[in-house]
Amino acid sequence: MNPIIQFGLETEIGIHRDTTEELDVVAESIALVRSATEPGVWMRWDYEAEDPHADVRGFRVTELRQDTDEANYFAQDSQRELSYVEIKSDLVLGNGARFYNDHAHPEYCTPECSTFEDLLAHDRAGERILMACARHMSEQIGSKVRLYKNNTDFMGHSYGCHENYLLPRSLPWENLAANIQAFLVTRQIFAGAGKFAVEAEDNFVAPGFQISQRSDFFSELQSVDTMQRRPIINTRDEPHANPQRFRRFHVILGDANMSPFATRLKIGTTALVLEALVNDPKRNYPRLKDPLAALQSISRDTHYHWLVDLIDAPPTSAIDIQREYLSGVKERCNLDLPERAELVQQWEDVLNDLSRDVMLCRNRLDWVAKLAMIREFQAAQNIADDDPWLQSLDLEYSRLDFAEGLYYSLEQSGAMLPGVSPQRAEYAVRHPPANTRAYIRGRCIQKFCSSVIAAQWDHITLEGENGPIKISLMDLFAPQEIMHYARAVDAARTPEDLRVLVNVPR
Amino acid sequence: MPDQSQKTRPTGPAPGGGGEGPGSPKVDKPNVEELLKRMRKVDPDQAKRYRQRTGE
Repeated sequence: MNPIIQFGLETEIGIHRDTTEELDVVAESIALVRSATEPGVWMRWDYEAEDPHADVRGFRVTELRQDTDEANYFAQDSQRELSYVEIKSDLVLGNGARFYNDHAHPEYCTPECSTFEDLLAHDRAGERILMACARHMSEQIGSKVRLYKNNTDFMGHSYGCHENYLLPRSLPWENLAANIQAFLVTRQIFAGAGKFAVEAEDNFVAPGFQISQRSDFFSELQSVDTMQRRPIINTRDEPHANPQRFRRFHVILGDANMSPFATRLKIGTTALVLEALVNDPKRNYPRLKDPLAALQSISRDTHYHWLVDLIDAPPTSAIDIQREYLSGVKERCNLDLPERAELVQQWEDVLNDLSRDVMLCRNRLDWVAKLAMIREFQAAQNIADDDPWLQSLDLEYSRLDFAEGLYYSLEQSGAMLPGVSPQRAEYAVRHPPANTRAYIRGRCIQKFCSSVIAAQWDHITLEGENGPIKISLMDLFAPQEIMHYARAVDAARTPEDLRVLVNVPR
Repeated sequence: MPDQSQKTRPTGPAPGGGGEGPGSPKVDKPNVEELLKRMRKVDPDQAKRYRQRTGE
């Protein structure tokens, strides 16, 4: 088993509707989630098992900076005549995914994946499920619902696309946090989604292009927060697995990507760098002198030189920092699997192309594709640099609509390298990944939907004839054990059958 | 800032086309007519109306 056991994406989506009335985005988000037509289990998510206040550095914060906002939102939401559970409207799907209203955004969480191909397919499956919701809701209410897979409204209100990587607890947190910092800060050169604005929290600051959507919104090096004073490294200690054996590295510093190539490169390189760290925690990687300043200066560098100051070393470029990590991966990771070898080659090619001419990557990377597309249109239309039209085009790049979205048009035109086939994405709408614990969750949802009492990432509980059947997924990561559980859930005709097959005591 | 009538009539090179723009992508001649059509249809004020609440 690889040290990086599994990974997944959780993407918050922007929502808007063609109407003259003032929109309540929370109500829109709830309605959107409730428009889902895919079969699944509604409002059975087990919130008791969640604890966002636990800090991996060994303490528990008494409150998050966002708790005040949460209390205010709760006060507003209490006027809705909906319960907390109804506001969340959690839907656990037969493909193992979670889909719900998170604060004020529909959020699609992919099932846990162990291959880059599965992750891409499930990210794309999420787009399809969201688009189906938008169509359904539009028909129901008679006005067009627009969904955006981006991270900002250009007025300083950002929402996230988080990544999760399950890895062994044996990697000391200090080594992990110190060594991955420069990687996370510099990977925006290929993982950024591009943005025609400079923002600050709750504010538009200036027009102009930068390579990342999210880099304006980070002001801490490490913390447990996610909504205010966001940290480069999030310290939430919530493994959703056996906490004695595992940690979940929760990355909140990343843009939502439309390009499957960019998504794969973002997830794949991060997983491999984590694996290199697990395999050699003592290896030294570059240390940034001022990581927060570097995050913004790289994103806003209009010359794409991306020079940053290091501790105890001369200034260097983000490309060269990435090459250091590439070397570490080549030396310390098992690259025998074809998809890993291919990923590393693609990473190297992108770094080489970015160093020669960034525009060589316009067929693969979101920020370059967006920049090229909009700048050429801007020149043709004689649009001024401060015209908000540029932001509208930026917004529509991320539109989740095959018939109107600009990214999808680029893809359909043949301007982007092929990503996931439509057939593969469609298959992932209904089928969980075969090689992770998500298979057990997804198949239980498919087969015993009406018997599901509770669901979480690390367990699922069914109502049996002889009482509740809690199937723990806390330690279910070894391939042979997953296969055993998979055969059991495939063979079981009733929840009681499953109880017997996987030895759940009465 | 151009006026609205000017905004609806693209006159120059197409995305992915020639001109003194960036280097060509490593793909075969993209068909950009549909893309241009969609870009022309984008309401210049769409982003002004797009307001979200801060998320995570």
